[in-house]
Amino acid sequence: MSITLDQVTKHYGGVPVVNDVSLDIGDGEFFVLLGPSGSGKSTLLRAIAGLSGVDHGRIALHGRDVTHVAARKRGVGLVFQNYALFRHMTVAENIEFALRVRHMRGKVRRARRKELLRLVALEGMDERLPAQLSGGQQQRVAVARALAHKPEVLLLDEPFGALDAKIREELRRTIRQVQRELGISTVLVTHDQEEAFAMADRIGIMNLGRLLEVGAPHELYTAPATRFVATFLGAANLFLARRTPDGIQVGASVVAAAGAAAGGRGEHEVVAVVRPEEVEVAPARDDLASGFLARGVVEEVMFTGALERLRVRLEDGAATPLLSFVDGDSTTALQVTRTQHEQRGFAVHPGQSLAIGVRRVHVLPTPLSSFTACATSAALAEALVRQPLLAALVARMKTRVAVRVEPRLGVPDAPCESAADFVGTTVLASQTDCAYRAEWLLRRGAQDLLVLPQQAAAPQRVLIHWMGEAVRGATLAVSASVLRHLSAEAVYVGIVPDDGAGGHGMRELLDARSEAKAAHGLEIRTELRYGDVSQELARRLGAAPGQMLIVGVADLARFAERFRAVLDSGQWPVLIVHRAAP
Amino acid sequence: MAASPAGALAGEDRRPGQHSWMHTIVRWLFIATSLAFLAAVLLAPLATVFVMAFAKGVDAYLHSFADPDTAAAIRLTLLTAAVVVPVNTVFGLAAAWAIAKFEFRGKSVLITLIDLPLAISPVISGMVFVLLFGLHGWFGVWLQEHDLSIVFALPGIMLATMFVTFPYVARELIPLMQQLGNDEEEAAITLGAGGWMTFFRVTLPKVRWGLVYGMVLCNARAMGEFGAVSVVSGHIRGLTNTMPLHIEILYNEYNFVGAFAVASLLTLLAALTLIVKTLVERTGYRRR
Repeated sequence: MSITLDQVTKHYGGVPVVNDVSLDIGDGEFFVLLGPSGSGKSTLLRAIAGLSGVDHGRIALHGRDVTHVAARKRGVGLVFQNYALFRHMTVAENIEFALRVRHMRGKVRRARRKELLRLVALEGMDERLPAQLSGGQQQRVAVARALAHKPEVLLLDEPFGALDAKIREELRRTIRQVQRELGISTVLVTHDQEEAFAMADRIGIMNLGRLLEVGAPHELYTAPATRFVATFLGAANLFLARRTPDGIQVGASVVAAAGAAAGGRGEHEVVAVVRPEEVEVAPARDDLASGFLARGVVEEVMFTGALERLRVRLEDGAATPLLSFVDGDSTTALQVTRTQHEQRGFAVHPGQSLAIGVRRVHVLPTPLSSFTACATSAALAEALVRQPLLAALVARMKTRVAVRVEPRLGVPDAPCESAADFVGTTVLASQTDCAYRAEWLLRRGAQDLLVLPQQAAAPQRVLIHWMGEAVRGATLAVSASVLRHLSAEAVYVGIVPDDGAGGHGMRELLDARSEAKAAHGLEIRTELRYGDVSQELARRLGAAPGQMLIVGVADLARFAERFRAVLDSGQWPVLIVHRAAP
Repeated sequence: MAASPAGALAGEDRRPGQHSWMHTIVRWLFIATSLAFLAAVLLAPLATVFVMAFAKGVDAYLHSFADPDTAAAIRLTLLTAAVVVPVNTVFGLAAAWAIAKFEFRGKSVLITLIDLPLAISPVISGMVFVLLFGLHGWFGVWLQEHDLSIVFALPGIMLATMFVTFPYVARELIPLMQQLGNDEEEAAITLGAGGWMTFFRVTLPKVRWGLVYGMVLCNARAMGEFGAVSVVSGHIRGLTNTMPLHIEILYNEYNFVGAFAVASLLTLLAALTLIVKTLVERTGYRRR
């Protein structure tokens, strides 16, 4: 491995900008770090170069731990977005700088310079000053300069940002060519997904300081694991669907899902991804070659050259819960792209009614689909919907909040008022007696229950604990899903009862960490405590501000009594994951 | 197409609806005003200096420099500038570097303090040193016991001049360094350069024009400073009189030729500084 990152974390003013990132980059690999601005990708690159330190974790280059090695001794080449050429030196002097630093002889330097200039196709430009070159040429010089001292690793920080489209493409090809020729491990940081697709062997997608997913471009595009990746890499229509034994039920229609068989717990709500090019439109249902989804009305037709983009409003919008939020527009308009060939077969104009089919559906493995705010009256439920943390989660997860009114919430032995099943994550306001209300809901079928204090904001640390091995997998899956949408660090708190045997707790800790990493790509810290579970959790939550708890529960016996201290205090958001032991 | 010849010469585009004769008149009006103002405020006084200096012929002019007191004043001024400018250059670089590259507590206080000498009257700047090091000052007794003199001696003149001129280099460099950023330095570091090498090979060449300009201003002020130096010098002829002080004394003694001769020299020195700056800039753009 040429670059190994192990739990790299960097804070600015208490907020983690790079959050527990672990990554292995192979020899000669071209790796692209992709993410929106502020996702921490540039900070991570600067940490690899040694220009900024890390607060936690290790960085190794070719097996050598460089976490505490100065930038100038790391042997990396770095190319900046704005070139950062030495403006008072000629091209030749710029390129030879690293060699001069190393006291190489003039003859050797000249030979190396000629070789590099040939590599970046700038022969004969030796005596020019940077100001006499175009942007693309300057960036070529910057690449040559970064390669002069034969670094083991080449780092590129948005190198094409300031260039126009044509030159960008040309330079992309040059850099890829040079990289292949030298076989140098390369990390490129960009926010441009097209660039990532064009260049990468593998892409790592970052958001909120966390490395969400890593994979080959086509893998990430066809089978994303998170809704952020699904919507950030290309356009995507997100649906709230139901997984049934027959397939994926989107609205009224059942569609076979691609490569998603294992369901786990019977029929439940899932998030389905349909790419715009996987949508088919036809005049009538019988003309569709693919599974029928719904009828729709064309809202907008846009010609973009090779492809035609449509926005189609679904006619039975309520029955087909579409989650696409295009630029903050929450209307249920489906995005469709069609090739010239398809356009010739069936011309479409705004206002036209047509049948919509879906060729391929991908189901996200996330266990969190939508939220349902539950309260004793509609007004209280509406107030809960506006709670800041819930609103933030809903916006980031691009999902929706339903409202469920249960007038007799918490009344012992009273049945549910609403006949509907509990779908997605149920949300409950934190108040006195809410431990009883929580137990009431859990006993009546709520599986994931989020208890929210009125003022709780996005947490900085999420504590994770489960009671019983039966809920370990589910708790980790839910934790991973929640943490992708929060810039918080995750800590697994193992608690060994005072009377319990020693050694067992430590093994559980290590198992938890490796399972979180292997199954969910989530890096978590671990800590071990001794004592009564609920007391220790309350004490640990009170130890610092801005904490949240995710707790897995298999057995509901004495639930309310045990969690009163944590739930009724109204200080901390708590997510309860309940799965009955088989 | 009735573009005036002047407009065509400048290669400018005429906006629709713009009167060409009006345009020409306004332009000449502005140029004439600026020239007239310059002539009245700058050229006429400068010319007077030289006219008065040569009023009694070249011999009288040259003769006035033979006076040992005048020669001493010239030496003292050059010596002061030679010490003050390098010291303030180092200080200005350090201060600008600290302010532009680091975030630290009290940064705004430091920036304000650097500006202080520009804001307060030079007389007060001189007075401060008298209060500190004078016979009745804080350190006066101690200095006398150890037979050291600062006020009414060379060290006092240099301290006062330093105090008055120290903002110039830092003031030039701070905005320049902030604007140029850190990227080139970071690039040098990743290429293997150490701290000193990065400073001398990258940072210093990068800011050299700002630095030269700051030094020129600093030098001009150091040679010409009157107020602060007047307070601390004690006006001892041939010992603690700098050129500006000496000019005043000669003038008060009705030795107009002598006064204006020294003044002309001071003016020439200032002009020389500006010429040096222009030359450095011009050769700087040409490559070795």
